[in-house]
Amino acid sequence: MDLDSIKPDQILDAKGLSCPMPLLRTKKAINSIASGQILEVLGTDPGSKNDLPSWCERSGHNCLGAKDDVGFFHIFIKKG
Amino acid sequence: MSDNVLASKAKGLYQILCQDNWGKNTVAILVALLSILMLAWDRPWGAVGAVRNWGEWIIYGTGLWDLLGFADVYDSDTPKAFLTHTGSVIGIGFIGGAFLSACLGGNFALRIPPKLEMVKAVFAGIFMGAGATLAGGCNVGGFYNAIGNLSAHGFAMMAGLIIGAILGLKYVYWEMENISWGASGGKTINLPGALQILLGIATLAALLIGAYTYTNGDIEKLGGVLLITALLGYAFQRGRWCMIQGFREPHMTGNAKMAKSIALSIVILAIGIAIIKSKYIGLSDMNGNSMDYFWKHYVRGTFGWGGVVGGILFAFGAIQAGGCGTGTLWRVGEGQIKLWIVTPFFGMACAVGSMLSKKYNWEGSIEEGSSLGSYVYLPHLFGYSGTLALIFLIMAVWYLIVAWNEETNKLMLEM
Repeated sequence: MDLDSIKPDQILDAKGLSCPMPLLRTKKAINSIASGQILEVLGTDPGSKNDLPSWCERSGHNCLGAKDDVGFFHIFIKKG
Repeated sequence: MSDNVLASKAKGLYQILCQDNWGKNTVAILVALLSILMLAWDRPWGAVGAVRNWGEWIIYGTGLWDLLGFADVYDSDTPKAFLTHTGSVIGIGFIGGAFLSACLGGNFALRIPPKLEMVKAVFAGIFMGAGATLAGGCNVGGFYNAIGNLSAHGFAMMAGLIIGAILGLKYVYWEMENISWGASGGKTINLPGALQILLGIATLAALLIGAYTYTNGDIEKLGGVLLITALLGYAFQRGRWCMIQGFREPHMTGNAKMAKSIALSIVILAIGIAIIKSKYIGLSDMNGNSMDYFWKHYVRGTFGWGGVVGGILFAFGAIQAGGCGTGTLWRVGEGQIKLWIVTPFFGMACAVGSMLSKKYNWEGSIEEGSSLGSYVYLPHLFGYSGTLALIFLIMAVWYLIVAWNEETNKLMLEM
């Protein structure tokens, strides 16, 4: 999937936050969008790159992928 | 052609050792083996000895050493030198190893948290220090290496850690709904990849030179201590092995991977340490001194209210900090500024707690007993095989509960 072409329905800025806040904020944010919509998480905690995909798998959401940027990364999640 | 194959295999090896995320169970086994080696080499390892010594130096630096009564209680004008104090060298090795791992893997960056997280870091550190004082150590000395060293106080802290993790998580949920001040605005300062590799190589050289210097100096044993703990820090960071996560995740996401890997690690650790402790009794060291004292390593008088209450305070603080004793130190090594704030407050709280404990004789001694609980070396009650059976049983029960919850989510706290 081409991550550059994704238009997120909501963006969550979790930059500078450390474990477990990025995942908890993501959990909260995903409750505010509809099934099928896309949440983009901006983060800097290296743990998020494992934690978010494994949480998606457990909770029925679809992690579309991660993309590195200058000083942070983007993770795209489609609500299940 | 074959040169290309060799080059690509070398690249693959570098990737496995320095860049890939190691699996939780791989790290669990490595941590158990290295912890057994530490005891065989000198003594068990823990994180509190380091942060307490550094906290004492901060207190000394602010001029409060005499005023708070440290000078009287320890009968010394200064804290112990941090380059020759075993506890401190354990911490230096651990952070050094984590920093090395973060640099070689390209994970090092100065991650500056939002303001609210900085304020929480201060309180989190104080809670952790108070908890570690009552529980006879942090998640390592009070729980992991406590059970591993066949002392009952590890189980008291374990009960406290479970309760404290739930309370800590409840607080975080409440905070997310009710406090919006300073919740965003974090920044990250990245270092170029090449610079990280250079820093990594410099750290490796410093660790090796340090170990060589110790080994050829007055305190030979510190060379091995530095290297074994550097390997520990390296493994923890490479696998992001976070013990507080083992207590938090079952209630937050249901994920039981970390909890299961801690249970596995404790079982291996206990077997190794039971072998060493049972064999050393009745032997003498190289200088002819009796080693009958050896079983006393990490047997603390906190099997009782101290362990439970300490575990609750410690886990509550660690959830707010985003790292337990070890989780804090390896995150310091990967540049997380929040944990750079947690560490000195954790250290100062440990220093004050320890000094008060000594001053008022809270923990007493094995012979006279303790006011924080009891000193219980499990093999004295159940023998070595009985103790191992008990540890296996409790770890199996823990495994089954978290695995059942992973499937049913019965213990999950909803937001």
